[in-house]
Amino acid sequence: MTMNGATDLSALSMFMCAILLLVPLIAVWYFKLGITKNLVTSTLRMAVQLVLIGFFLEYVFKFNNWFLNLLWFLVMINAASFSVIKNSGLRIKQFALPVLLSFIIANFFVVLYFNYFIAHLDFILDAKYMIAIGGMVLGNSLRSNVIGLGDFYKSLRRDEQLYFYKLALGATKYEALLHFAKKSFVSALNPTIATMATMGIVSLPGMMTGQILGGSVPLVAIKYQIAIMIAILASTVLSISLGILFTVGYSFHKNGTLKKEIFRTNL
Amino acid sequence: MFNIQNISKRFSENFVLQNFSFQISRGDKVNITGRSGIGKTTLFRLLLGFEKPDSGTISFEGNVLTDTSVWELRRRVAYVSQDLSIGTGKVQTLFDETLSFRANLKYKEGAAIEIPQLFDYFELHDSLLQKDIETLSGGEKQRVAIVNSLLLKRDIFFLDEISSALDKPLRIKVLDYFLLNPGFTVLSISHDNYLPSGVEIKALKLN
Repeated sequence: MTMNGATDLSALSMFMCAILLLVPLIAVWYFKLGITKNLVTSTLRMAVQLVLIGFFLEYVFKFNNWFLNLLWFLVMINAASFSVIKNSGLRIKQFALPVLLSFIIANFFVVLYFNYFIAHLDFILDAKYMIAIGGMVLGNSLRSNVIGLGDFYKSLRRDEQLYFYKLALGATKYEALLHFAKKSFVSALNPTIATMATMGIVSLPGMMTGQILGGSVPLVAIKYQIAIMIAILASTVLSISLGILFTVGYSFHKNGTLKKEIFRTNL
Repeated sequence: MFNIQNISKRFSENFVLQNFSFQISRGDKVNITGRSGIGKTTLFRLLLGFEKPDSGTISFEGNVLTDTSVWELRRRVAYVSQDLSIGTGKVQTLFDETLSFRANLKYKEGAAIEIPQLFDYFELHDSLLQKDIETLSGGEKQRVAIVNSLLLKRDIFFLDEISSALDKPLRIKVLDYFLLNPGFTVLSISHDNYLPSGVEIKALKLN
């Protein structure tokens, strides 16, 4: 991957970009959608965060120090797992550690596997790969985990009768939970599977776009894209299974009933 | 067999059960009645350990039910619930899943012969096995849930309104199956006042 192939965008370009922002802004204002403030703050946040990260990554890539790379990847994983817990309506206190652990194991395994066996890097903690590939894997499995882990516990609360029914038929806790885990897996994996089926026709994925702008030939870009999609699937399945496995231990009372206090909002 | 002593249970401010005591012996047929919301289903949930009494104790075969001993009880009892949430997917898949639980594995082999027999008795067509549970009528679901519980060879039954969606002849057939078997201990929530001859039915009215 050559990262310096894309043409730099001048200040005028960025100004023209801001003009384009007027389209959503005017629409939001004209139709009184009530999200003007959200739109503006989100755009500003994005700009500020990306500028900071841009400067930061300049240095990370320049030093390419294994410790710094590792540390930054951990920061990313940490942010992702907190985002998963928050967005799935679960309580940070109970879930922070197990979800973080599941994310660390799943994403490190997949990224290191990618770097060593697929990309054949001499330095498997290389900043560009670890942070770019890791970020893509992490971002996508984050979305799936919000669906997967969140859906698992929500469906248990929603279909409590069904869960009890299985327990009353003599199922162990794990036997009764298997049904719910399977369903969550399906709903978590479905969006990725659907994306893969239309990939290339409906959308050119971000990774390919980046590589093509960066000067790679499309035939190289697609190989990376295929590899990354499979890496995303692997890390999603791993992190959801480990996430469920690590959290069921203390999400239930001894009699098998779900602890209501694991949810942030009590319904 | 069951000894319920002075149990009270309330949800927020409302007592559902207050200082309630009752004994159930092996082979008893108990019919539980009372207006809706009085705690009939709560009683089952307490007996199955899904709820804990605020005070009082429930004993099963001489041992007080605890969070750990309740698992053994759940392997001894067959519970047929009222609200028909028996899952999704094919009927056969439901039976297969139930029989795949470690506690039930030993009944897997016999089930192949028993399912047609039970289907015959409860007037269900064999083709139902390949149908999705969601497409069944209320009465069909009730009978599928009954068959599912009978495959497990339990002799203690908690039946929560299991015949409410059935017509009279079928309802009698269903109730006879449980009430006329002297080996069965049956706790049944039912609005039926059907009493088969030759069986003593203990009435338990909650109020």
